[in-house]
Order: sequence, then C-alpha cells, then structure tokens
Amino acid sequence: MPANWIILLVVIPMLGGIGSTFFLRHMRAQRLIGIATLIANLIVAIYAATNVFTDLDHPRILVSQMGDWPAPFGISIVLDGLSALVLAMASIVVLAIYLYCLWQMPRRLSHGLFHPLFHFLILGVQWSLLTGDLFNLFVGFEIMLMASYALLVIGASPSQMRQAYKYVLLNLLGSTLFVTCCGLLYGATGTLNMADLARLSHDGLLPPSAIPIVALLLIVFGTKTAIFPLWFWLPDTYHNLPASLGALFAGLLTKVGAYTLIRTFVMMFGTPELHRVVLPVLLLSAGVTMLLGVLGAVSMKSVRRILSIHIVSQIGYMALGIGLMTELAVAGTIFFILHNMAVKSTLFLCGGIMQELSGTDELAGMGGLLKRAPWLAAFFFIAALSLAGLPPLSGFIGKWMLLKGALDTHHYLFAGVGFFTSLLTLLSMLKIWNAAFWSESPQSPSPAPARSTAAGMLATAILLVVTLSMGFGASLYYRMCTAAARGVLQPEAYIQAVLREAR
Amino acid sequence: MILLTCIMVGVIFACATYLLLAGELKQVCMGIFLLGHGANLAIIAVSGSPIGRLPPVLGGGMIDRLVDPLPQALILTAIVIGFAVQAFLLTLLVITARKTRTLDLNALATDEKEKP
Repeated sequence: MPANWIILLVVIPMLGGIGSTFFLRHMRAQRLIGIATLIANLIVAIYAATNVFTDLDHPRILVSQMGDWPAPFGISIVLDGLSALVLAMASIVVLAIYLYCLWQMPRRLSHGLFHPLFHFLILGVQWSLLTGDLFNLFVGFEIMLMASYALLVIGASPSQMRQAYKYVLLNLLGSTLFVTCCGLLYGATGTLNMADLARLSHDGLLPPSAIPIVALLLIVFGTKTAIFPLWFWLPDTYHNLPASLGALFAGLLTKVGAYTLIRTFVMMFGTPELHRVVLPVLLLSAGVTMLLGVLGAVSMKSVRRILSIHIVSQIGYMALGIGLMTELAVAGTIFFILHNMAVKSTLFLCGGIMQELSGTDELAGMGGLLKRAPWLAAFFFIAALSLAGLPPLSGFIGKWMLLKGALDTHHYLFAGVGFFTSLLTLLSMLKIWNAAFWSESPQSPSPAPARSTAAGMLATAILLVVTLSMGFGASLYYRMCTAAARGVLQPEAYIQAVLREAR
Repeated sequence: MILLTCIMVGVIFACATYLLLAGELKQVCMGIFLLGHGANLAIIAVSGSPIGRLPPVLGGGMIDRLVDPLPQALILTAIVIGFAVQAFLLTLLVITARKTRTLDLNALATDEKEKP
C-alpha cells in the first residue's frame, strides 16, 4: 500500500513559501499563511509519526514512489522510524520558533522576505529527512542551505557579511564535493537509491572502489554537521544571528547533518569493512569535538556566543554514538538529536528574551533578571540543566545511553571525555546563570523592557514542555529511539519496503 | 576518450583549488564555480565512453547500446542548482563590494578584528 500522502510534508511548506511570496507587502496575510501552514505541517507530521509507530517496538515504513516509477529507478520518499521521529520534533520546533519570530522579528528581516525563506528552509529540511535517494538528499540540502544563506545575509551589516562568507563558501564547497560523490558512487555501484545501496553493502556486493567515495562522504557530512576538524565555520557564524534565527539554525541545520550521518554510515554503508575505515575517525573526532566545543564555551563572554559554540560540543555526543555503532549508542544518538533540537532552541529563545530585557547580549551588561523575570529564570534553569544532563531531565537520558554505550564497548576514554564535557557544560551554563540572573543589575535603575515578553515566553514554553516530556516520558521515547536504531542497524525491513513495493 | 575526460576533471579541480586558496573573494568565488563545472564533468564521465553508443532517446530500439541517461539527468539538476548558487554568490559579491569597498580577504579579516 503506497502511502502517497507523506509527500504532503514536502508540499505544505512549499505551498507556504510560494503563497507568502505573493504577499510580500501584506504582513498580516503572510503571518496567517505562515501559522496555517506550520500548524498543518505539525498535524501531518504527528499523524505520520503515530502512523509509523503504531507498534512502538516495530515501526512501520511508509513508502511512496514518485510518479509510480519502480524503486531503484524512480525517486522514493520514505518515512521510517528515524525520519518520523526527527520530522515530528522538527515540526514542533519550527512552529515554536515561528511564533517567537512573530513577536521578536529580527529588525533587518522585518520586510516580507523573511516568511518565504523560513518556509523554504523547512521545505529543504523536511525533504532531506524524507528522501530515499542520495541525489535528492543533495537537492534537499541545497534548498535548505540556499534559504539559510539568504536569511544570513539579507540586510546584514558589513561585519556580519564577512562572517557569512565563511559559512556560504564552506558549505558551497561541501555541496560540490557532495554532488561529485553522488556521481562517483553511481559510477561505482550503479545506483543512488538508499535502500538499494544498503542492500548492496549488506550483501557484501559493494565494490572496493566505493570505499574512498564513502570516506569522501564523511568529509562532506562532517562539514555540514560541523565535527572536528571541520567545525570552525560554525561558532563564527551562528553568534551573528538574531536569537530566533539562531534557534532555527541550531535546532535544525546541524541536526539534519547528524541525521544524515546516521542514515549514511549506519544504514547505507553499515558493513564491517567500511566501518573499519569510518568508525575510528568518527570516534576520535567525536571526542575532540565534545571537548573543544565546551572549552570554547567556557571561555566566551556573551550568551549567544556561548550557546553557539556549545552546538559543536553537543554534535560531538551525536558523533560518539554513531562511532560506537551499538544499538544502545545509536538509539542514544537519535534520542540526543531529538533532545538537542528542543533544548538548544529553548536556550536560544531564552537568550533572545534576556537580550530584550537587558538590552545587551554581553554577560557583563546583564544582571538582576531573577527578580525582573522569574519565569524566564525558571525556563532557562530547566533548559540549562537539561543541556548539562542532570536527571531527571532529557539530557541525562541521552547522555546515559551514550556513555553506557561507550562503557559497554570498553571505550573508557571516550566515556570519560563525555562525562568531563558534561561537567564543563554545567559550568558554562552556570556562568550565564550567575551573570544574568543572580548578579545585581549593572545599570540602576534597570531599563524597562519595551514591551511585554509574554508572546516570546509562550513560544519558549512550548519547547520546554517538549523537553520535559522527553525527560519524564523517557521510557516511551527510549523505546521509540531503540526501535528506530534497530531499523537503521538492520535495514532489511527498510530495503524490503522500498524495493519490493515497486513490483 | 574517458581518460581524456578524467584528466580534464583533474586539471579543472586543480585550477579550482588554486583559485580557492587565493587572497581575493572574486577568485575564491570563481574557484567555487569552476569546481562545480569539474563536478559536472566528473558525473558525465561516469556514464562511460560514448563512442559507438546512441543518445538515450527511446524509439530507436537497441536499448542495450544507449548511453546511461541517469548521469545526464543528475548534471541537469546540478547545473540548475549551480546556476542559482552562482547568481546568489555574484549578488553577494556586488553587495559586499559596495558596502565594504574591498574584496581582499585579508583586508576583510583585519577590519573585523578592529571592530569590537
């Protein structure tokens, strides 16, 4: 039974993007379209996730063949456990961020172009998550990145422009390498369909000439995900973004990269020969990424800078789980991706509200926020502790799964690094907490906020509820993540669903 | 034929790398464009030597002698995306040149440090 309706997850944001392009001068119409499409998107994504997880331990796989061309030849759109989970989380996160954007629109983006670009970014993200072949993954990535380039540079000041170049050029280089990889891989294997590639590599039919191409793919996705030593573009770019866009980029872009790492190196090329090449590199880079990212965070002095460089450190954890390649560790990575999408966005949004209240982003200029905004303090506190990984919050569960995976496979060093990184994460979060909430306000009397922060707090609260649900409903998420991990580690069901449906 | 194409791809990639390492933004962007062309050529080389084979148009029979059409479909998409990227990057260059009066990477980087 082809589940053709899953293409709605691509069509809805596309309609939103095209629709809002027609109303560049009508803010109210754009907002209406935006909220309508994002809510529709959320409903379809949640419906899809419940459809996939009718049985929590055995997710179904929904497949749609575009134009009804049989699988290895046509374009397949596939929704399995992994992509359903990430998609559902992404759709919640973008809705919350959009609501926040309506309240605090970045000033340089306050003309109509923001809305179409926002929708096209979501289109790219969801296409990347849904697609069943490597070349369409490239196309999805390109759409997502094009929208992000434009959001980054429109109306930017000269200094922001300079920073943007680093991001744009490096990602363009990565994309070119990606498309070359696609071509070479097609030459080596004769297919680009993910299920077909997984079938080839699990049957041991992958030619040796494919191994260097897979290694090149690691560089490509490593650049997009920002793992060591390819992470240097990220902290320089993200802190320039206004809080709302920072939340969007931090919550979606690098996480899609991490999703792709799982899809590629766990599912498509999950054979022992390839793992001998890829896993040591991934593990080592994961360890260094975790540590360097958090050391950077400890040394930074503004909220957005701390949060931006923290993204890198969190990506290290995700790469760690993939590098370990046990069921628990991969499930941990999936859990961690979901947790991070919610928590990181929450923190960025909190940072935005903090900036609104105190008029600056520098820690030195903040203070006294605990008295002025107790709810904000509570939100930030919960999200920060969750990021640091204190029980019973979601970060603890994710880190527990990853570190237990490392201990089970006798990678004590990496478990130690992961634990140490957690401590430093707590330290850097406490730094923000002390400077912004506990200390006295440097300006007296403290500046009155220009407007009520209730709308922004509402958007943040949505994300916080999701985070809390991941902590307190951990067993449910744990089962779903484990099932999704099993689905990518042993992709027989995926291969059958995609390839057989055609006949 | 295929060897010649491969050498061409190598040369283009080498030139592109040289340009990417240059100190001026214009050259770096040209490097990116050139790299895109190299990638396209590499993909078309994947479909094998065209000598003695037919263009992939149905109707002539002899399906076994047709050139593999998929790489051509791939580069068609890649060219379209590459075109969009080039347009975007060139616009960015013009705006940067207008705003900062320089396209020299070192000048851009030092400007940045002087600012708080």
